Amino acid sequence: MNTVLGKRLLSVLGTAAALSVTSLGLSVAQAAELKVMFQGDPYEVTIITDVAKRFEAANPGTTVQLINTPHDAYNEKVGAAVSAGSLPDIMQLDAPFLANYVWSGFLQPIGGVIDKPLLDDMTASNISQGTYPIDKQLYAIGLTDSTVALYGSRKQLEALNIRIPKSVDDAWTKDEFETVLKTLAAQPGTKWPIDLFRSYGTKTEWITYAYEPMLVSMGCDVIDRTSWKATGTLDGAACVAAATEMQNWVKQGWVVPQSAGGNQFYAEGRPAALAWGGHWFYAEAKAQMGDDVVVMPLPKFGEKGASPNGTWIWAVTKTASDPAEAGKFLSFMLQDPAYREQYKEHAGFPGLKSFAAASPLYAPGGAMAVAFEQASKSAVPRPPHPAYPTITLAFQNAMNNIFDGADAQEELSKAAKKIDADIEDNDGYAPFGKVE
Amino acid sequence: MSAISETRTPARTAAIGWDVGAIVKFVAVTVIALVVISPLFLLVVASLKPDRFQILADMGSFRAFWVSNPSLDNYRNVATFSGALPFGRYLLNSLVILFCTVLGGIFINSMAAFVLAWGRLPGRAIILTAFIALYIVPQESIVLPLLTIVNKAGLSDTFAAQILPWMASPLYIFLIYQFFIQIPRDVYDAATVDGASPFRIYWSVFLPISGPVLATVAILLGIETWNQYLWPLMVTNTDNARPISVGIASFFGHDSVYWNSAMAASVMMMAPVLIFYLAFQRWFVSSFISSAVKG
Repeated sequence: MNTVLGKRLLSVLGTAAALSVTSLGLSVAQAAELKVMFQGDPYEVTIITDVAKRFEAANPGTTVQLINTPHDAYNEKVGAAVSAGSLPDIMQLDAPFLANYVWSGFLQPIGGVIDKPLLDDMTASNISQGTYPIDKQLYAIGLTDSTVALYGSRKQLEALNIRIPKSVDDAWTKDEFETVLKTLAAQPGTKWPIDLFRSYGTKTEWITYAYEPMLVSMGCDVIDRTSWKATGTLDGAACVAAATEMQNWVKQGWVVPQSAGGNQFYAEGRPAALAWGGHWFYAEAKAQMGDDVVVMPLPKFGEKGASPNGTWIWAVTKTASDPAEAGKFLSFMLQDPAYREQYKEHAGFPGLKSFAAASPLYAPGGAMAVAFEQASKSAVPRPPHPAYPTITLAFQNAMNNIFDGADAQEELSKAAKKIDADIEDNDGYAPFGKVE
Repeated sequence: MSAISETRTPARTAAIGWDVGAIVKFVAVTVIALVVISPLFLLVVASLKPDRFQILADMGSFRAFWVSNPSLDNYRNVATFSGALPFGRYLLNSLVILFCTVLGGIFINSMAAFVLAWGRLPGRAIILTAFIALYIVPQESIVLPLLTIVNKAGLSDTFAAQILPWMASPLYIFLIYQFFIQIPRDVYDAATVDGASPFRIYWSVFLPISGPVLATVAILLGIETWNQYLWPLMVTNTDNARPISVGIASFFGHDSVYWNSAMAASVMMMAPVLIFYLAFQRWFVSSFISSAVKG
């Protein structure tokens, strides 16, 4: 009996070993010439898989190996690839991390390998998200970009005689915005006047992405973009006043708390009256509220308005085996009609002028037209500096603590010191801070 | 009268005490069961909702626990062997990895434990101490060197890369070693007198009487393998050998979370474990108790 069991076990182990060897053989046979690492929503995985197949069909002899990596673990995968010396030829990256990647020597300029008409078609915001501030060269490109807008219920706002801004120039002022919040707070059925999507938490880019423009609009920034020092800027009087103002909204009970989730704007009974949400939020809100959703520009808190930009864009790595071929793939992909059509169906925020013109949602008269207008008039990229991973982490923790009631001056000073310490530890990330 | 009441009072108190105790226990067990079951119930209910928008709209209210028009569409969309995210393939990959790792793990760990417990090995105590010391090294700290080895060996994006590094474990070797050293020396000597080789003694004598400890190792190694995320993420690039744990993460995009698909895929990932547990729950309990006693 035991011998029989032993023989069975051995045969199973033999099969297992054979399976492993077979899979090893398969991976060798499928070695690709052009390796493309990317992440994305499930529909994007399909879109990119499809366009890679079309590229292979149009370019016999070239094989595209797609390395689809889950969004939440993308940076870990990049880090591992760098450590193991196995960076792909083409990689997607989150725009604010571009400076860090270029400074670290992972990427190469792409201006020379991308089709000229495509470069000319990029929006100003798209160019800014892909440009390295030191050599002013383009290192990444994308079909899409992003922004944050203010969402409300047309019926509710009209019933309360609240003015609905129709363009960026027409945006609410700070006083107007706070009056609106106060008015909405007094309405029966409204639990919170606004959802700032605190539910995204500190493990995403949300706080820096969506709240930094408030600081910019209120006359400050997370870091001085010339001297690249945070002390004196992030913990300066303007930023402290801005953060205290935002903390006050929370103290008044106007902001949806982190624990309430991200669906309060359209959940049953509409507990939140307004939403400070990304362009992707429109689809969620529209699905529940239909045409009652109204999209408005972000308020102008100071003399100028500010809005976020930046999304996942495409770059060619420094170790790419054939940069020209990599550029050819990117040019093919970003101009591919089916690729664009699929992004249009999913309300991709345009980063190319021709794509904007062909996207009814963002074209003049479209429901999100004001969001696209905002991107062209007030988009402010997150600090394009190699210390960005530290900058965003420090700022996010500080703002989260401030929202939870901590002293604004103390928290921002702590964050500024952390940022400056990282920059000093890296000898200023030269040549940053040494050039005009 | 007073004598009767004196004799009845304690009995009544005992009866009331038993009832109150039973009620408290029942309530406590019910609450604990609800706490444990409700997330699983929510998971299944959400996986039957028509789309992610509905799930989001219901979240935070009791409607999250109810589905008015249940649909299997999410499962149909997810359980596929082709397309950009072939979850059927991922599930199959996970099962292959699980099967090979557990089987190979039992074999290798028990052989190592046998040699350490009964083999004529110089410096056995030092080797055993070194093994135990190795257990405190966290997996995360060896991921990068291991990744380099796997890449250099040409094993990237294969099943082998996910099976071979994790079959042997200091913990499981030590666990089985502890069991083996408690087997009386007479058993080993009797088999030797009968002319059995060390491998024959291991295979035909020791393994058949080591059911409880091998079950413990199989269960622990199985759970560990099934829940692996970081390592498969690092070594898999394509769908060829990607397990379901990494596949599910693809539903958490940079803009939105596709809760409907993620929930259906999670149920698919949970189902084999649940079925396995329900089928072998007696083994689970007895093996954990026996290893706790021996440990």
